[in-house]
Amino acid sequence: MRKVILGTWQDKIIDNRHKEKHLINDEFPELEDFEGGNRIKAFVGWDGFFIFDLDVPVIDMMRAYVEKVQEESCGYCTPCRVGTKIVADKLRDMTNGLGREEDLRTIKRLARVIRDTSMCELGHTSMTALLKIMELMPKEFEEAIKNRRMMRKGAYRAIATAPCIEACPAHLDIPSYIDAIRGGNYYESLAIIARKNPLAGICGRVCVRPCEFVCRRAELDEPISIKYLKRFVNDQILSYAAARSKKAETVPVRSDKQVAVIGAGPCGMTAAFYLKQKGFSVEVFEELNEPGGMSAVGIPDYRLPREVIQAEVRRIMETGVKFTYGMRIGSDKTLEDLKGKYDAVLIAIGAHKSKDVGMQGEQEKPEGYISGVKFLRDLNTLHHIGEFDPPGGTHLVVVGGGNVAMDCARSAKRLGYSKVSVIYRRTEKEMPADEEEIREAKHEGVEFNFLTNPTGMKIKDGKVTGLTCIQMELGEPDQSGRRRPIEIKGSDFHLDCDILIPAIGQAVDLSLFTQNFPVKTTKWGTVVVDEETMMTDQNGVFAGGDCVSGPKALIDAMSQGLHVAHCIDQYLGGQPMNMPENERMFRLIKAMKLPQAPVNRVGNKPRCNLESRPIEERIMDFDEIEGGYKPKEAIREAERCLRCYRIAMFVTEE
Amino acid sequence: MSIMVKTEKKVTLIIDGQKITVPDTITILEAAQKAGIRIPTLCYHPALAAIGSCRICIVEIEGVDRPATACNTEALEGMKVTTRSERLFDLRREVIKMILAHHPLNCSPCPENGDCELQDLAYEYDLAAMDFNDYHIQTEGFPWKPFSTPILDYHPRRCILCGRCVKVCSEIRGLGAITMSGSGAKAVIQPVMADEQTPSLCISCGECMRVCPVNAIEETMGGIKGKPWETKRVQTTCGYCGVGCQLDLNVVNNQVVGVTTRDDVGVNKGRLCSKGRFGYTFIHSEDRLRRPLVRNEEGKLEETTWTRALMKVAREFKRIKKEHGPDSLGGLSSARCTNEENYLFQRLIRQVFGTNNVDHCARL
Ligand SMILES: Cc1cc2nc3c(=O)[nH]c(=O)nc-3n(C[C@H](O)[C@H](O)[C@H](O)COP(=O)(O)OP(=O)(O)OC[C@H]3O[C@@H](n4cnc5c(N)ncnc54)[C@H](O)[C@@H]3O)c2cc1C
Ligand code: SF4
Ligand code: SF4
Ligand code: SF4
Repeated sequence: MRKVILGTWQDKIIDNRHKEKHLINDEFPELEDFEGGNRIKAFVGWDGFFIFDLDVPVIDMMRAYVEKVQEESCGYCTPCRVGTKIVADKLRDMTNGLGREEDLRTIKRLARVIRDTSMCELGHTSMTALLKIMELMPKEFEEAIKNRRMMRKGAYRAIATAPCIEACPAHLDIPSYIDAIRGGNYYESLAIIARKNPLAGICGRVCVRPCEFVCRRAELDEPISIKYLKRFVNDQILSYAAARSKKAETVPVRSDKQVAVIGAGPCGMTAAFYLKQKGFSVEVFEELNEPGGMSAVGIPDYRLPREVIQAEVRRIMETGVKFTYGMRIGSDKTLEDLKGKYDAVLIAIGAHKSKDVGMQGEQEKPEGYISGVKFLRDLNTLHHIGEFDPPGGTHLVVVGGGNVAMDCARSAKRLGYSKVSVIYRRTEKEMPADEEEIREAKHEGVEFNFLTNPTGMKIKDGKVTGLTCIQMELGEPDQSGRRRPIEIKGSDFHLDCDILIPAIGQAVDLSLFTQNFPVKTTKWGTVVVDEETMMTDQNGVFAGGDCVSGPKALIDAMSQGLHVAHCIDQYLGGQPMNMPENERMFRLIKAMKLPQAPVNRVGNKPRCNLESRPIEERIMDFDEIEGGYKPKEAIREAERCLRCYRIAMFVTEE
Repeated sequence: MSIMVKTEKKVTLIIDGQKITVPDTITILEAAQKAGIRIPTLCYHPALAAIGSCRICIVEIEGVDRPATACNTEALEGMKVTTRSERLFDLRREVIKMILAHHPLNCSPCPENGDCELQDLAYEYDLAAMDFNDYHIQTEGFPWKPFSTPILDYHPRRCILCGRCVKVCSEIRGLGAITMSGSGAKAVIQPVMADEQTPSLCISCGECMRVCPVNAIEETMGGIKGKPWETKRVQTTCGYCGVGCQLDLNVVNNQVVGVTTRDDVGVNKGRLCSKGRFGYTFIHSEDRLRRPLVRNEEGKLEETTWTRALMKVAREFKRIKKEHGPDSLGGLSSARCTNEENYLFQRLIRQVFGTNNVDHCARL
């Protein structure tokens, strides 16, 4: 917790300089030390600043801030490129005891020009804190000019961020890769993505895109199509490389340390890629005969074609990562074996066990009753080689309201079932599935029964023949903020069906942990890791992805892969382990819960949508639905980005 | 393609008190131009999509605190726009100052001197060297680096980073061979890497040089360039192929020193390929054939007149045709000829020579 002594944010000014500390109630309750024991003394940001400790060297702090602005300025527009350089030079002079009286006027004048005329939010916000601090602490500046003394330097941690970057679990530098597309610089764009995300083709198609939900362009018209821009650069560079049969460069081994990764899902592949980049020998063990994890055997091909996954893996393989398929750790080899042979082990096994709905008849496992993940796995591994034998019947019912349920229902449509229904116990508004998924499922003819809960199965001769359901109504909101469904007494009804697919969640298969090699788990059946180091209670054994967080999304699993690669690197190098510094800063920024400022601009240019195949055609096969952007469309879309960059800086003790 | 195609709608907005109705697809700058209102610009180039980097075309829009750039803000229904005000004058003047703070101020040795958009703006906004005293910029050194092609040289100190060159390369040439790189005051224009191994996609067309307003991209060919007022610009048709691009040969003291183009002239509208733009040094080459030469008895080349030379050629062709038949002859025409000339050429070979042995080098 930090108490504000002096600060301002947007229009609010907090001045507690003359108050006793225990009487101050302007505070950030969730803001802790930077690292344990290293206190945060001040924060300088885009709409103001907060001072928690009055002994911060104010002018040097602003010098550091504006120098960071100048370092991050993209150089595109004049005021930010040149103006912030002049201001930074002047502030530096001042801290060196070389400030002149007229400099204060020049700084103020330039600061206003930069604020009013820069192109993007970096320039717009770069001078706010400086102008406010000059107003609230004029004495500091006047004395600096009078005394002409060298000033004490502080310790600073600064970062360029944006709402979309903060929302992305991997903190991809989104505006910058969009910028590169705008400049026609696709190769660089993909390189920027690859700093945090080696699976651009996959994410560019199926990422749940938390970034787009906070995109500030939505205030003017619609959010930027961040996801499809990613797909565009990936496909562009890949086809360029394929046309020239270019391969990714092999990374030389620079360390004698070896790492084993269990699971070739998004988390495992991401970790393997970055560990390889750091120079370790990396070997990935995968139970299935192909890579991708849930992205391959969960997500159907019409959303994410196999070739895309395979092309990504090929790139990772070309850098020198070894993959062994068809090897299940826990039966073919044990965790102990791996621990004995490798210097570090990463568990990234995902969550592949299905959960039961908790209705009557489930235990009998009748014919026609098949879990969502199993249905999709069989479909995904067997259909493209012509060996998938779909369960017989005409009416298929899916239970659940998430993306997995949508995938099951839309796949079922493609398999030719005459009637496909989804049963969900709340209303459409509460459905966790992506809005687009729901809309497309409806277009494709999937029927929805909302406020309906299955209570039991009708089974005849060991085969599903129907379902008893009950109507629900919404009650009080629960912990997740969604209204809890309550049964309406006596509203039971019957539904005929041949196939029943529960898709209400997955659990982690923990059978690879044995008595000889126990690893601590939670009561929800997920693996316990240290938040800072991603290490389990077994030294040298790390874990990440769905098996730690429970079923989430690709990018969450990948961001953990990135994090864990960083920690394994530190572990193998014998250094103290901690989370990447920028990850720490993003967490601190989030903990401050700063209000967003409105977009002070005009514009009206809706996003550029992708062309999808007609419904009658696409429900006949599992081919991809949408074509990607063409270069002209991508550049037009990239031009819509407002570049909401801003600098956040923490002043710390050391 | 599913870019939302806007149906042609009209919007009415007010610029400087003047009510104007324009299609809803155009920008404030274009709307103002239609109404005859001048908004100062620098990075804007009529052949290119708006760039918006220089920030000089800022205007005030009622209801929005921050000025917006006219070149890339759409004209919207009911907008009230002010293009001239004291605040805008001051802001523009400061921005131009910032540009000049990073640009050499000794205009006299510069070939653009007298025909320079930046100079015009400095004049319009009453800026002189002493206005920069309170900036005393601590300039960065820029080490020389090769540009995207050896035919061009890039001068970072002159460059005002307007971004036109980058835009023309990706938009008109469709290559994207150069880009802005580095950050802040260290930003420069640099070749794009297509990947680790392919350094540049540049095809040396020199379009970037054409649109550069401040001569920051210069050709490494040729020698001295003339000042605008001592250069005679002779409009001609490019001789390299049959397209017929229009260009201006720049002549100083009866010497061709370069090629420039005009944005609104000819089929090419200012564009050229590398041959048309840079292939002029042959004009004054010592090795160039100026008179017809004919081999004498001893096999040595001797100067002669056109009539004699052509007579000799005709005589010899006739002899060969008579002794060895028409198919012992053939004709190879040049891509530098026009369609009409090539047509006449094949008529000559087919009908006069009597053979179908006729072909064309197809490209230079
Ligand atoms: C149907 C479905 C649709 C989804 N759609 C989306 C979507 O559109 N967007 C999105 O962002 N997320 C989506 N997700 C979630 C996303 O796929 C997961 O969050 C993500 O794949 C988790 O990555 P992971 O690496 O942790 O685990 P996984 O992807 O599950 O990978 C784990 C890998 O480990 C292997 N493995 C397991 N046990 C062992 C063992 N003992 N030995 C060797 N190998 C083993 C598995 O075979 C698997 O390949 C979806 C999930 C499902 C089920
Ligand atoms: S970061 Fe934004 S404000 Fe700064 S130079 Fe680039 S476009 Fe201009
Ligand atoms: S407009 Fe661009 S920078 Fe701003 S939030 Fe959207 S994608 Fe990010
Ligand atoms: S080289 Fe010329 S055209 Fe290119 S950015 Fe610099 S000044 Fe503009």
